[in-house]
Amino acid sequence: MRSLSKVLALGGAVVLLTGCAGTMRSYDAELKQTVNHVATGNVAGALAELEKNNTGGAAGLGLGNSDKDLLYYLEKGELLRLGGQYEQSAAAWLSADQRVKEWEEIAKHSPGKLLGDLGSVIINDKARRYDGQDYEKVLLSTRLALNHIAMGKWGEARTEIKKTHEREAIIAELRSKEVEQATEEAKTRNVHTRYKDLQGYPVESLDDPEVTALKNGYQSAFSHYLAGFVYEALGEPSLAAPGYRKAIELRPNVRFLEEGLAGLDKRAHVGKRGHTDVLFVVESGSAPARQSVMIPLPVPYMAGGRGTVGVIPTSFPVIKSERAFMPSSITLDGKANLPLAPVTNVDAMARRALKDEMPGIILRTTVRAIAKSIAQKQAADRGGALAGLLVTIAAVATESADERVWRTLPAQISLGRALLPSGKHSMKLSGQAGEQQLEFEAQGKYTVIPVRLMGSHLYAMRPQSSVEMAAQATVEPPAKALPEAAAPVEEAPKPGARPVKSKKVRKGAIS
Amino acid sequence: MNPTSVIRIKSISALLVAMSGSLLTTGCASTGSPIVGSGPVTYGDAKAVESVTNEFGSTDLQTMAEAMTRSLIQSAVIARGNRPLITIAEVKNKTSEYIDTRSITDSIRAQMLKSGSVRFAVDTHAMQNQTDELIRQNQTGLYKKGTAKKIGGMEGADYRIEGNIASIVKLGSSVKDVYYKFSLMLVNVETGVIEWADEKDIRKTSSR
Repeated sequence: MRSLSKVLALGGAVVLLTGCAGTMRSYDAELKQTVNHVATGNVAGALAELEKNNTGGAAGLGLGNSDKDLLYYLEKGELLRLGGQYEQSAAAWLSADQRVKEWEEIAKHSPGKLLGDLGSVIINDKARRYDGQDYEKVLLSTRLALNHIAMGKWGEARTEIKKTHEREAIIAELRSKEVEQATEEAKTRNVHTRYKDLQGYPVESLDDPEVTALKNGYQSAFSHYLAGFVYEALGEPSLAAPGYRKAIELRPNVRFLEEGLAGLDKRAHVGKRGHTDVLFVVESGSAPARQSVMIPLPVPYMAGGRGTVGVIPTSFPVIKSERAFMPSSITLDGKANLPLAPVTNVDAMARRALKDEMPGIILRTTVRAIAKSIAQKQAADRGGALAGLLVTIAAVATESADERVWRTLPAQISLGRALLPSGKHSMKLSGQAGEQQLEFEAQGKYTVIPVRLMGSHLYAMRPQSSVEMAAQATVEPPAKALPEAAAPVEEAPKPGARPVKSKKVRKGAIS
Repeated sequence: MNPTSVIRIKSISALLVAMSGSLLTTGCASTGSPIVGSGPVTYGDAKAVESVTNEFGSTDLQTMAEAMTRSLIQSAVIARGNRPLITIAEVKNKTSEYIDTRSITDSIRAQMLKSGSVRFAVDTHAMQNQTDELIRQNQTGLYKKGTAKKIGGMEGADYRIEGNIASIVKLGSSVKDVYYKFSLMLVNVETGVIEWADEKDIRKTSSR
């Protein structure tokens, strides 16, 4: 009886050691369902699934979580955006943003709190509060900006864009500190933190040239190009220039991005009356999942006053990319072919983030494995073979890598830009399920038309309203206008599309 | 003067001395605005030297604007004293940093206007509001005829200010060095002659 209670106590200790909260929850399995719903066009089903997984009732059974965390709001915002509910989507994302802001405050004022638990024994990675991947934090404000643009709130989009740069600076500062500390800690604990040393780990997923070519795991050419576009639309070319320039730095040798910067001056000075500068944002697929893979790790530890090596089953996160289909061009009004430039690969960014995170993960996992091996040894010594076995089973059962990532983010983002006569247009793009056509309206001087390909479904996120930009068209274009602003499309004037005549008072101009 | 009034004067002066003494000991803070809350928020001098990171910061903005204003006011064209009409064209940002060059030119314009030596015409950025207002006054039929400002009365600027900001960033293993160069010039709109030009450079080095 006494030995049984000992066994139970030890088992309980191991469970505590690995951390209870959230350890039984498989985020990958939960989100697979949600993503599948989205791929078939069932946004309502996806939202219901998300809510079901995040309600209190199932929490006790390990099937759900009553604590609505950052991920819940990230996924919810994306689903609502796909459903065209920009207002609600922005509200969900602003809740997520509030959590990221809290993280930023800690990162700015007491980074030690974030870096301090690097070598922590007690906490399992999965039980740690989810602060979001760095690229998720940055893309959150970029996507919020897209929502604001869709609602015609360009000023608020500007605020989000500005937040993106500030966020990137905070992340850069913190990560450089973290790398320093992880290297130092690994040295003192004598732990090798190279993922290439892990037997059986799919190293190629992290050593992909697409991953190593990235400057870091959180800055994207898309975010900066959009920043350039928003600043340009608001008549601030001196802020638009660094946006386009940064996009080029992050993704060199892409003609589309280079044209963004090269044509800025011309576009800023010569607006074309009755025309809209349209930015097509074509997104495809969903961000890759993190899955847990079991790898036996040789762990050195002290037992009975002498050093020994035990093999402990540990788990590490791996990313398995699923190639998302991305069309290379779109057809406008049935005639002109507009090439799309792939500018951001979220899939590669996710892998880059993991690659940069791996030394820290290996360090924490190794330290935890040492603690577990000591627990096993003690259990076997005190409670006999059965106790040792039970503790081992508990250790294996609770060992699972952190699978949490924002899954409904797109995997690939491509851009296209064209100067079109304002008014109704149609675009055609070929997806997995053949050619699909949708109508859109080019309103105002600048507009953004985002579309998303998910499985067989095409989502169009049309702007609700477009605001006439104050900054542009300030001066009448000269009678003999310079050649048209860079428009990579062979523009065919639409029959019936009339250029706007002389300037009249706009509707709603009188307040 | 009777003895009672002498006593009264004496006691009043004693009272005044005592009051001024108590004022000195309590300090001036008691006369300031009340403080709400006790959070970790402090107010600092807006002109204080900022050295938090070596990105473009408030001190750089203020230094550049002040140096340029001083130099510009002393230029021959403005020192002549005939209050020329100037407009601000764009200051190009040639760096990879999100620097709002308009806030630099706004500071320059505000400081120059305060000096009273120049006048400014609305720049291209503010032109939309200007034309909107004129059109509203003249075309909506909402305004009294005599009070509506006429279209065609805007004054053209004699000079325009334009320039650029460039940077050179070098990263060593332990040092980050940033060099900013802010160039500005004053161009005669009619003749195209550059009447004045100046540069302000700033070097910032930080250890990593």
